[in-house]
Amino acid sequence: MKHQEKTSSKHNFEECMKCTVCTVYCPVLQVNPRYPGPKQAGPDGERLRLKDPYFFHYALKYCMNCKRCEVACPSGVGVAELIQAARIKYDHSAPKLRDRILASTDLMGTVARPLAPVVNGVTSLGLTRSVLDATLQVDHRRVFPKYSGRSFESYLKRRAKEQALYQEQVAYFHGCYVNYNYPQLGKDLVKVLNALGVGVRLLDGEKCCGIAMITNGMSAQARRNAEHNIAALRKAEADKGVKVLTTSSSCTMTLRDEYPNLLGVDNADVRDAIQMATRFVFERLEAGATLRFKPDYHKKVAYHVPCHMERLGWGVFSERLLRMIPGVEFTLLDSACCGIAGTYGFKKENYEASQAIGAPLFEQIRAVDPEVVACDCETCKWQIEMSTGYSVQNPISILADAIL
Amino acid sequence: MDPREFDVIILGGGVVGAGTMRDCAMRGLRALLIERADIATGASGRNHGLLHSGARYAVNDPESAAECIVENQILRRIAAHCIEPTDGLFISLPEDDLSYQNTFVEACRKAGIGAEIIDPQLARQLEPSVNPDLIGAVRVPDASVDPFRLCASNMLDAKLRGAQVRLRTAVTGFIREGDTIRGVHTRNVQTGREVDYYAPVVVNACGVWGQEIAQMAGVQVGMYPSKGALLIFAHRVNNMVINRCRKPSNADILVPGDTVCIIGTTSTRIPLENCHKVSVTPDEVTLLVTEGAKLSPALSETRILRAFAGVRPLVSDDNDPTGRNISRGIVCLDHETRDGLKGFVTITGGKLTTYRQMAEQATDVVCRKLGVDKACETATTPLIGSAGRSYEEVAREIWEAPSTAQKAATARLGSVVSEMPKRSRQDEELVCECEEVPVWEVNNAFERMGVSSLTDLRRRTRVGMGTCQGEFCACRAAGLLAKAQDCAERERADLLKFMGERWKGNYPIGWGESLREAEYTQWVYKHVLGL
Amino acid sequence: MRFDTVIIGGGLAGLVAGISLQQAGRSTAIVSTGQNALHFFSGSFESMKEAPERLTALFAGAGIRVHYNPGVRLTPLGTFREAELSLEDISLFPEAKFADKALIACVPGYLDFFSAFLAEGLEKQGIQCRLCSLDLPEELQEGSVELRSVQLARLVDRDWKKIVQQIRLLIKDEDAVVLPQLCGLEDTSVPERLRQEIPARVVFAGTMPPSIPGIRTQRLLKRRYEVLGGTYLTGDEALDAQVEGNKIRSVRTHNLDAHALEASHFILASGGFFSKGLRSNPFRVWEPVFGVDVDFDEDRNAWYNEEFAGDQPYMKYGVKTDAALHLLVGGQPRENLYAIGSVLGATRPELGSGAGLAIRSAFLAVDEILKTV
Repeated sequence: MKHQEKTSSKHNFEECMKCTVCTVYCPVLQVNPRYPGPKQAGPDGERLRLKDPYFFHYALKYCMNCKRCEVACPSGVGVAELIQAARIKYDHSAPKLRDRILASTDLMGTVARPLAPVVNGVTSLGLTRSVLDATLQVDHRRVFPKYSGRSFESYLKRRAKEQALYQEQVAYFHGCYVNYNYPQLGKDLVKVLNALGVGVRLLDGEKCCGIAMITNGMSAQARRNAEHNIAALRKAEADKGVKVLTTSSSCTMTLRDEYPNLLGVDNADVRDAIQMATRFVFERLEAGATLRFKPDYHKKVAYHVPCHMERLGWGVFSERLLRMIPGVEFTLLDSACCGIAGTYGFKKENYEASQAIGAPLFEQIRAVDPEVVACDCETCKWQIEMSTGYSVQNPISILADAIL
Repeated sequence: MDPREFDVIILGGGVVGAGTMRDCAMRGLRALLIERADIATGASGRNHGLLHSGARYAVNDPESAAECIVENQILRRIAAHCIEPTDGLFISLPEDDLSYQNTFVEACRKAGIGAEIIDPQLARQLEPSVNPDLIGAVRVPDASVDPFRLCASNMLDAKLRGAQVRLRTAVTGFIREGDTIRGVHTRNVQTGREVDYYAPVVVNACGVWGQEIAQMAGVQVGMYPSKGALLIFAHRVNNMVINRCRKPSNADILVPGDTVCIIGTTSTRIPLENCHKVSVTPDEVTLLVTEGAKLSPALSETRILRAFAGVRPLVSDDNDPTGRNISRGIVCLDHETRDGLKGFVTITGGKLTTYRQMAEQATDVVCRKLGVDKACETATTPLIGSAGRSYEEVAREIWEAPSTAQKAATARLGSVVSEMPKRSRQDEELVCECEEVPVWEVNNAFERMGVSSLTDLRRRTRVGMGTCQGEFCACRAAGLLAKAQDCAERERADLLKFMGERWKGNYPIGWGESLREAEYTQWVYKHVLGL
Repeated sequence: MRFDTVIIGGGLAGLVAGISLQQAGRSTAIVSTGQNALHFFSGSFESMKEAPERLTALFAGAGIRVHYNPGVRLTPLGTFREAELSLEDISLFPEAKFADKALIACVPGYLDFFSAFLAEGLEKQGIQCRLCSLDLPEELQEGSVELRSVQLARLVDRDWKKIVQQIRLLIKDEDAVVLPQLCGLEDTSVPERLRQEIPARVVFAGTMPPSIPGIRTQRLLKRRYEVLGGTYLTGDEALDAQVEGNKIRSVRTHNLDAHALEASHFILASGGFFSKGLRSNPFRVWEPVFGVDVDFDEDRNAWYNEEFAGDQPYMKYGVKTDAALHLLVGGQPRENLYAIGSVLGATRPELGSGAGLAIRSAFLAVDEILKTV
């Protein structure tokens, strides 16, 4: 019998041993007892869905896609993938207008940018938020991120010539947040990489990674974005094998894993070229490169590992990088979800759950009382800043601040 | 009237016994069914779950084939909640003789079976898991049937019409006056209590144990049991039945069933005394996997859940004691005309698909003997649970937004769910997570379906049939049963026995995920629970 | 990244080794594929018939309170099992009849606590039992889909005072109260508080996994390890090793891909079949990371005992080692590669089984490593 030497199934669901450890670590289940939990929604449900799509349950929409179930699973089952894949395959209900808006970050960013000061003013008004709550069910308590008047792309385009002078080149997948809301992070990355003798360039046309589209029922659009982005990555790679760096943990996870596993977009040839900036910088420094640090730099930093970073397993690089900065008083916060889960926490029906999920983390931060919370995820940043008042910075920004 | 007196006593709680009980009840007879263990513990509980279209027999046994298709169509109507109308494919692989296909289709047409030659490309679209190398395909109305559900529904239906059941009751002898059977001596296997029951007609529907029973009554019925081994895979790979279009052979049918799929089968003659303890050999496992992979290559890389074997109650052509002529068809023996013994009928042979026809034949004989002139209506009267609505419709009637467990339970129980009492919040808790069986479904089985052990429960609700094979649910169910029937001591032993049964089906395929699951189960039961 | 020792497997064995090495000033990393068997821990350290100072000190440092009272413990099914060293909230009795009358409190709708079996088991020992129901926490009254130990434990930790009040009202003349082991998950002081506030002897009876004392132990050990400077890589899987001569030079993992973990020493603590420390197919059993020698039967039929309750041969299979726990490849020991915990199976019977095996082998390997520079 040449058969049965190994077994394989979609997202490894048949490897589930029913140990229920995923259920222990699901943040949603801690606050919402109506959620079936990752085991039921994922591998259990899959067996029934294979018989009849009728067995798909709409409560799967409560899954935050935080991937903590997968991190906890001793069997290597893609639990969250199963849940999201089921939503993509079986949930044919059209996404609400609100979800479309929240997920269409490229569109909203482009529209908001020319009117940034006005938009920022309006969205911070209580009245606006009450209206959004009543009409679109975007919770009025949620603080909106501010838009920047200038996009990061325009900033880097203006410096393209000088960046091209560096002997070593990397491409930067900046993501929507850096481009539309906070170009400063991109500028910080450029500063750090330049200090290492590396020039930064843009990809040839970058679109939103699509993570919010995937979870908001817009997988067809997400797929189009994915195909576009992978083509741009291929182009960069073909050009002297240039690495593509990222500063957002969620964009990174989406580009590397969600594209092939959920959208069926093959990225095997470029996956390894996608790296988080903190990993890239750490590996350089570990290999002997040096940076000149400010002599009197001191910062009490508490590092929060975002859920998707934990999934990637690359939190160790950000952590090590921060510890390398002289003058940093470092605390690693206990692994916990902040609760916002991207667009999830904006929705009225999820707001309370989001805040309840993040409560232990907020408490921990208050107890540590850092000067800054380090975090690689922009939506974690919005959530922690809104819920605790502490300032949150990407490790790259902290590093840029610490070097001369 | 003496409560131990009936018009007819039926021996055997398989589908044939249950079907006969229902037919008798529908024709106004006071019927009693006596079963030594639990429902469907013989061949009715150890088969492929295939509702034959008859195509498989069309070429070699056109009579059987014609019987099958008629019953196939009938059961789709009257037992809809037990059947998944999957249709089936008969595929030809490069090594098969494609010209057989024409012979096959012609024979099907002659037998009244709708067989349609389709393009292999279309076959791949209809059934993506089918072997992509197929060179030919014929579509037939095969379907998947849950034999436990079928058996339980027949019994429930009959009970609602006034028939009675005694489970865990063994026949220890016949009450015979000269050349007439008047009743049976019985003993309750659990309590030891002995009771006699009386009826002018006793029907022997004991399957492979029919020879033993007949001997007790004083007549000879030669059984030639044939063992068949099957493998259950952990999840569904196919949604249509897949067969090989060639002379029927081993391991050439892959049947989808609820949350799993089953590959079978083999055919080995075994002595009657071994029928109680059949197991699957390593060679059989190898054969089933190897041949199965030809139908669907995915099976090579799919987790196997368990291995089991059933025994076919084959009976010799009457009056041939050599056993050379094994009848494939239904064998209905009126022992008055055959052996001069009044009041005793044996109904045997046949197959799961034709059980209703077998029950009809047996009941016709019974009615003739009792002078009752009533026509059979089982072919046109839906079984309880199959009241013409799909499970989706039933669920929608009860719940606005049914959970997966509510949907799953409704899919199993059918329309009876509408008549069940209101459920409390706690009743919605899950006992079996793999198969999504809620507490209320388990309680219903305890209260209305004669459950007194975990194996009984498993047959009626699928508890323990999922990939954990009872790891979690068995304990929970044991706890519930212990409370419901105040039998904690008995339940501890029952729990161990149940897990032993699951293990028997596990170790023949104990590698990979199955071995991991087994190790985990050992850990939980021995170290955590201290069993 | 470079460490003194890289440990494959973050369960009891791996963590005990990691903590010990960090305490001795060595830098270590633990690679763990998901959470581990501690989540199904009964709370009793099986085959630890003694309580070595070294171990109790290690646990104390992690905030894990243990006690050593050879006797019996109550199992979830109402039977009694020999036990010696256990977590503090697991009661150990000199004999099974630990009270005259017991009140067994259960949570309505929670199926993983077997009050019927407990009552029957205790009655057999001469303990008169009475069952009672605690109120379900508010959040769960609306409806939950899957009521598991963890959900309840969080709420019990929060509402323990209400439970005390309820018990005080419900108790009559019982001298013992049996509660499900559903507390002390986040707040480790709750079991003790319940003991102090309830006017009877409080005995915690286990539930179906996930085990609350197990999860707590895992969390405390992991935290201790990280506080000591250890690097715990969760949700990562060791793939293969890079060998140089007779030594392991580095190990690659799934998440860190090209960034191999380099170290002077490597410890394999990857567990048995369940945790994929050993893998099997119809033909063989093997160890997936280092490809070392495994002790198993070539004939698959010998892997199993047909009786479920009997000893299962496959559970004894494990990696082969020399006296100093070095792993063997083709019979030759790898100089800097050790094996500890249940990946050893029953190949080292003198080290015991289960928790005892994990702890003893971990200390042994650590001592070997500390001999070297």
